[in-house]
Amino acid sequence: MQPAIFAQGIGKGFRTGLWGPVKQVLRQVDLTVAPGAIFGVLGPNGAGKTTLISILATLLLPDTGRAEVLGLDVVRQAARLKARINLAASGAHFLWCMTVTDSLRFYGRLYGLGGRALTDKVEKLLDLFGLAEHRTVTFERLSTGLKQRLALAKALINDPELLFLDEPTSGLDQEMAHHIRQEIVRLNRETGVTMLLTTHNLREAEMLCTEVAFLKGGQLISEGRIPDLQRRLGLGDHLGLIFQDSPAPLDYDRLPGVLHHTVQDSRVDLVLDRVDERLPAILEVVYATGTKLAKVVVKPVDLEEIYHEITH
Amino acid sequence: MKLRTNLNKIWAFSTRSALVNRRNVFAIFEMVFWPLIGVFSVGLLTRFLSLEGETVAFILIGAVTMNTVQIAQLDLSYALLYSVWSKSLKHEFIAPVRLSHILVGSGLVGLVRGLVVFVLMGCLSVYFFDMDLGRPGLAGLSLFLLGLFLNAAIIGALVLALVLRFGQRAEVAAWAFSYLMLLLCGLYYPVSVLPRGAQFLAQIIPLTYFLDYFRNFYGFPLMSRHPLLYGFSQTVVYLFISYGLVCLTLKSAYRRGTLLRLSD
Repeated sequence: MQPAIFAQGIGKGFRTGLWGPVKQVLRQVDLTVAPGAIFGVLGPNGAGKTTLISILATLLLPDTGRAEVLGLDVVRQAARLKARINLAASGAHFLWCMTVTDSLRFYGRLYGLGGRALTDKVEKLLDLFGLAEHRTVTFERLSTGLKQRLALAKALINDPELLFLDEPTSGLDQEMAHHIRQEIVRLNRETGVTMLLTTHNLREAEMLCTEVAFLKGGQLISEGRIPDLQRRLGLGDHLGLIFQDSPAPLDYDRLPGVLHHTVQDSRVDLVLDRVDERLPAILEVVYATGTKLAKVVVKPVDLEEIYHEITH
Repeated sequence: MKLRTNLNKIWAFSTRSALVNRRNVFAIFEMVFWPLIGVFSVGLLTRFLSLEGETVAFILIGAVTMNTVQIAQLDLSYALLYSVWSKSLKHEFIAPVRLSHILVGSGLVGLVRGLVVFVLMGCLSVYFFDMDLGRPGLAGLSLFLLGLFLNAAIIGALVLALVLRFGQRAEVAAWAFSYLMLLLCGLYYPVSVLPRGAQFLAQIIPLTYFLDYFRNFYGFPLMSRHPLLYGFSQTVVYLFISYGLVCLTLKSAYRRGTLLRLSD
């Protein structure tokens, strides 16, 4: 199957000032994204996330390498590609004096929509994002959350096959961020649209993304599905066994799936390859020793640990 | 189908310009206040200097020309400045639009606004200062107006190129460009009174020839034998050059990341 995004050796630098040195922002980035995925590009500020997304979204020309999005070259076939993609970015910005409807109609026309088709599309998006009651409000009077919802609505005006989301919940309160994340998942599920999302919020990536890539200093340092990354890095889920008295007399390292363990007083902490698969067998072995358990604590490995392991 | 798609894209920029003008009190101010000031300040000056009919027309033509060109070029110049001010430039350029959609769409509104200013100032000149605006006839008036609008398009396109290269800092160029051009083309005086070097510059400004052509209807001798030929030929060349310049700066903006910087 043709990947939704295929990039090879992408490099980009920016000159500081007129004659200043070139600061390299991206170095030899390779990336493959499957159709229908929500792919997260993670990294700290200045890692090159926005530069990468901008190149793939035809807003910036790469210095080196080549990239194809939906099978079209982002440089040579940009005009054709633009009709099939769209972008929603953090800190939504549209013309201050245009109402919600004006903005959607304006962007709809930029994609060649007009007449009944445009009106129907705008009405559908107003309903979908709960903007109908704010349709006559000018952009400058909208709350931050509503502006972000409008940005997402605008990004769907052309029914894109691939959507770029550049830190879509940045600056939003918890409730609104949660709502936007739900919308993203729903859209992906219902329409099958591929999404490339940049964020430095690891929890968000964990909630949304099927695959992630880590960028640091303009280089892609790791890429894959979260469980695969976990395995590749030797990171495991945590299982805490808290006994009523002393711990069960077991050789914990020989238990199935245990990567390593520590014992402190009546508590044994195990690091497992997959806690969901191994838990029943381990508990069975523990119960067989006749030792009484007071508490079992399960903590699957999270993206933050993976991120920490990769970046340090 | 393709034509309709392109017309919708052009219409997008036209409606946006029209909306901004309608909802911005300063845009109405630009269209009414400055032309009023222009026609009365110049008209009353001619009265104070006790100038005769044809000379009054000579100077009033300059005032009408200046305001018409200024207003007509603004919508084109602002086409990208609106996006820069609202930081939405990347959303416009991620869409499948071409420069021609932006230029034609915004230019159409500039044309309408320029026409309103021309008619308004023309009527005031006729009513208060007895200028015979109908003397060149419909053909003469139309050709003169066409020349003015094409020159406004050249200025607008050059400002667009500057905006793409220098961003908001180019805002001032929207005014400065036209003032410089208007100074050299003999707006309130014959080009012959300019210093020799400036006279040469006047000859490479098409507006000079359109003013020459129009003032000839009021009895002023032609500076050049074929003003329309020179005026329109130069205009076509400059239109190509300025369009090429905008295309080049847009390409450079894609390479240098200007579109993103102007959206932050």
